[in-house]
Amino acid sequence: MLAESYTAVIARGEDWTDGSATEPYEASWAREAAISLRRLEAAPSSGAASARVQVSLDGLHWVDEGTVVAIPSEVDTVTLARITGFPGYLRLVADMADGDTAFMLATLSLKG
Amino acid sequence: MNRHAIDPVPREMDLSRFDPLSRIMFYDDFNHGMSGWTILTGNYTGSLRNMHPGYRQFTPPMLSNLTQWDGGTHGGLSGSYALKLATRPNAGAQTVSLKRLTYPKACTMQVEAFFTFKPEATELELSDHDVRSFGFVLDIQNAQYRVLPQIRYLNALDGTLANRWQYKPRTREFDDVGDRTVTLYHYGEENWVDIPGGSQTLCYNEIPTKINWHYFRLGFDIRTLRYTELQCNDLVLDLSGLETLKFDAMPNLSNLFNIIPFVETDSRKRAFLYFDSILLSGDW
Repeated sequence: MLAESYTAVIARGEDWTDGSATEPYEASWAREAAISLRRLEAAPSSGAASARVQVSLDGLHWVDEGTVVAIPSEVDTVTLARITGFPGYLRLVADMADGDTAFMLATLSLKG
Repeated sequence: MNRHAIDPVPREMDLSRFDPLSRIMFYDDFNHGMSGWTILTGNYTGSLRNMHPGYRQFTPPMLSNLTQWDGGTHGGLSGSYALKLATRPNAGAQTVSLKRLTYPKACTMQVEAFFTFKPEATELELSDHDVRSFGFVLDIQNAQYRVLPQIRYLNALDGTLANRWQYKPRTREFDDVGDRTVTLYHYGEENWVDIPGGSQTLCYNEIPTKINWHYFRLGFDIRTLRYTELQCNDLVLDLSGLETLKFDAMPNLSNLFNIIPFVETDSRKRAFLYFDSILLSGDW
């Protein structure tokens, strides 16, 4: 049988600032996830911007998974990270300079 | 993941809990993938910013094994997985999922499902007032009309339990989003009407981390553009006299048949709607 796969758009045109988090996404069936980020609009930047991958057993209590994905500084540039061995839930948390914003597309490509 | 690849017999036995019409269009038990259920993208042109805010709040569906922090994995009614819809955590937030198809012949189509709903277990409280509603929309077009049959179970509104089934006979105006594209947000709180005889208390259970599956059935006759029946467990309602949202037929939607379950929260907690299984049948 072919492996299952599903791509979930977990941020579909959302304005991120420092500390913004995506909604919890449950994927206990998946063995691996590719996480991609794309900036949809140009915006001034005063510092580095990235998203931390967080994982959770229950969707309520979160820990850093250890993977960090850069938020592209240029429109239509894509960044990508791959993770495996996660428990049930995934989300992204933005780390940005105070006052910076990013209009974002974030996707999870899951396989199991 | 795919237990049916090993033993197909249980999947056939699963069907005996349904009451399908003569032809089964699909049967999804969510133990072998999402089966075509997806996020609803509202119409827009130019930028995602131009999507109606009602549609922008929608979140992608998931496959859940209903794991709770205190009890571990609940699992589905059949197999480990269920389709999960989750709203954002603000009062009145809504989300939907949908499966898009067309009908092969005008006939009665019937959706059946085993479902449950819960608020996110962020408090060690009963929390039975926290989910506002869940329901189904069908999006259908024949040669003359586009219709949007739309029913919901109103669990609670503004913190008060309601426990009754409702339908929506009319809606608001279309909004223009440019380039010959219009949008209509028809999921809002306006124009819901109680279905006669539609009071029903469902099995919420006693804490937010316990769930119980319920049976649901809704029929709609595409020939007459009328509902047939709504059933939830032992409550059966004749909906044949009820009106539905109705517009002139629109371009590019011939024989449209979309199935759109939805859920909304009445509190600052995410509302979850789970489907162990969904079956669509017809009598063509």
